[in-house]
Amino acid sequence: MNMRHLLLLLGSLLLGSGPGMADAYRYHLEPLEIAEGVWVFEGVTEDFSRANGGNIVNTAFLITEEGVIVFDTGPSRRYGEQMREAIETVTALPITHVFLSHHHPDHVFGNQAFDAEILHALEGTIRLLAEQGDDFADNLYRTLGDWMRGTEVVLPTQVVTPGRVTIGGRAIELLAMSGHSGADLVLFDHSSGVLLAADMVFYQRAPTTPHSPGIDVWREELRELEALDFRYLVPGHGPVVSDRAPFAQMQDYLAWLDDTLRSSAAAGMTASEVMVLPIPPRFDEIAVARHELMRSVVHLYGAYELEAMALISEGG
Amino acid sequence: MAIRMHAALRRCTWLLALGWLTSLPATAALPEDPFRSPMWEYNLARYLGADAAVRHSDTVVIKTPPFAEDATQVPLTVDLSAFPHEIKEVITWVDLNPVPHLFTLRPEAAEIRTVALNFRIQQASTVRAAVRDEQGGWHVGSVHVEAAGGGCTAPSATASNPDWADSFGQVRGALFSPVGGVTGTRLKVQVMHPMDSGMVGNIPRFNIETLELRQTANQQRLASMALSESASENPLFVFDLEHDAQQSGILLLLRDNGGNLIESRMGI
Ligand SMILES: [Zn+2]
Repeated sequence: MNMRHLLLLLGSLLLGSGPGMADAYRYHLEPLEIAEGVWVFEGVTEDFSRANGGNIVNTAFLITEEGVIVFDTGPSRRYGEQMREAIETVTALPITHVFLSHHHPDHVFGNQAFDAEILHALEGTIRLLAEQGDDFADNLYRTLGDWMRGTEVVLPTQVVTPGRVTIGGRAIELLAMSGHSGADLVLFDHSSGVLLAADMVFYQRAPTTPHSPGIDVWREELRELEALDFRYLVPGHGPVVSDRAPFAQMQDYLAWLDDTLRSSAAAGMTASEVMVLPIPPRFDEIAVARHELMRSVVHLYGAYELEAMALISEGG
Repeated sequence: MAIRMHAALRRCTWLLALGWLTSLPATAALPEDPFRSPMWEYNLARYLGADAAVRHSDTVVIKTPPFAEDATQVPLTVDLSAFPHEIKEVITWVDLNPVPHLFTLRPEAAEIRTVALNFRIQQASTVRAAVRDEQGGWHVGSVHVEAAGGGCTAPSATASNPDWADSFGQVRGALFSPVGGVTGTRLKVQVMHPMDSGMVGNIPRFNIETLELRQTANQQRLASMALSESASENPLFVFDLEHDAQQSGILLLLRDNGGNLIESRMGI
């Protein structure tokens, strides 16, 4: 732990927070087998808080003939360690691969629980995590306090080559996308028909947009994912399903967001006016929609505003 | 639970403060701050003067998100569409910033009922807008913004981009109809400028200090604005303007402390 994190942690302890018992800081991770040899840990559809310790994310593992493939490591060192314990209650096989979907902290901050030599990610993910990881850690220390104790950024050492690969008898397809974070790895297990979509797909929980290259890019890639012949879909956040409902919801929400930002910019609205616009009732079942709309306006609205203005003076 | 208690207490304080205000004429005595900011009285004296007559007003509406997603760019809109008096001056500040002042706006030949500008936030803070009426009394609106912080001491994205000089002083803008059916013109304009706060390493302060809006035809001044270090990089301004001879177009003049004058024309 670096000095900055130690100070943040001391601050959070002085303020008094979180559970104080011996059983404190347990995520109570329950592996759920959704298909033959494919297990999921399902998080809550909330924002980061001291009540949930950052367990707002879905992670998974697949059992092969030779070992275990882990997909994402959760929001903290404690999560990674507890995930590992939970995996050991299911199988004695060694963990041979850890695939990291993207650089967001809730997906990669459990990395310390695993051997860095088996951490695999897209090149862009490794670069983005190296650039932004420490800032993410600072923010999460502030938000989660002692849940984050001992958590440090660990960069993946293995660069993923997209395409088909057989691991321990399982036919795996690795897809490189970018719509959610700029570098998004999706894992499709042809053997079971399980699609681990990570944050390319949110379901019943509003999508987050801080590093999206654009809603249009994201929507196009969602069409590619939807065309895959999957039996089960594991979104990055929200319940596991066996149908295509999350794609309809994502497309509907993202199209609405895109239209709203464009028409608001055309009307000359200010960012704070857009943040409080009504959200259609059909999105009532989507958790934290208002919160994410406010965040998305900060991330995305500026580009729409630029489009709606004319260049008046060249400058330079 | 503790949080809920706190909110209830805060609401009580609000009601007490409102009751007190409505039962007494405005005097030099300052009303209590419903947000209990340690900087309340100090900043009132600093920006409005020691003898200012101050009251809280729910017609001074500050629209910000409750949390700062990006501490260097927090959206702010001051909506005065329900303000029942003439507007002589609007002063905004961020209580706990190193330099709290954001802007001072003085409408002249134009009436301005909405103004927007992003600000930086150094830590969670109360944000204020104070409006002076024709009697000289001040009406204050307040909101609290949560923040992880560091907005004033974060390096500007412009300065870390080697090509920033190419776009320096670039102005984009457009005229719209005001939102909410008000008559007049909404002016939105963005200027590429690093707005360095002088609080990052040894990068000196380099920011736009004044803005003026004039009628193109007769050079009559519509409004002027003074800006401070709390203003964000590449500032985007919005004004809802009501003035005579709206067809004549608007001249925008910006001056920074480096001696640059950025001039641009909008409309006809
Ligand atoms: Zn993500």
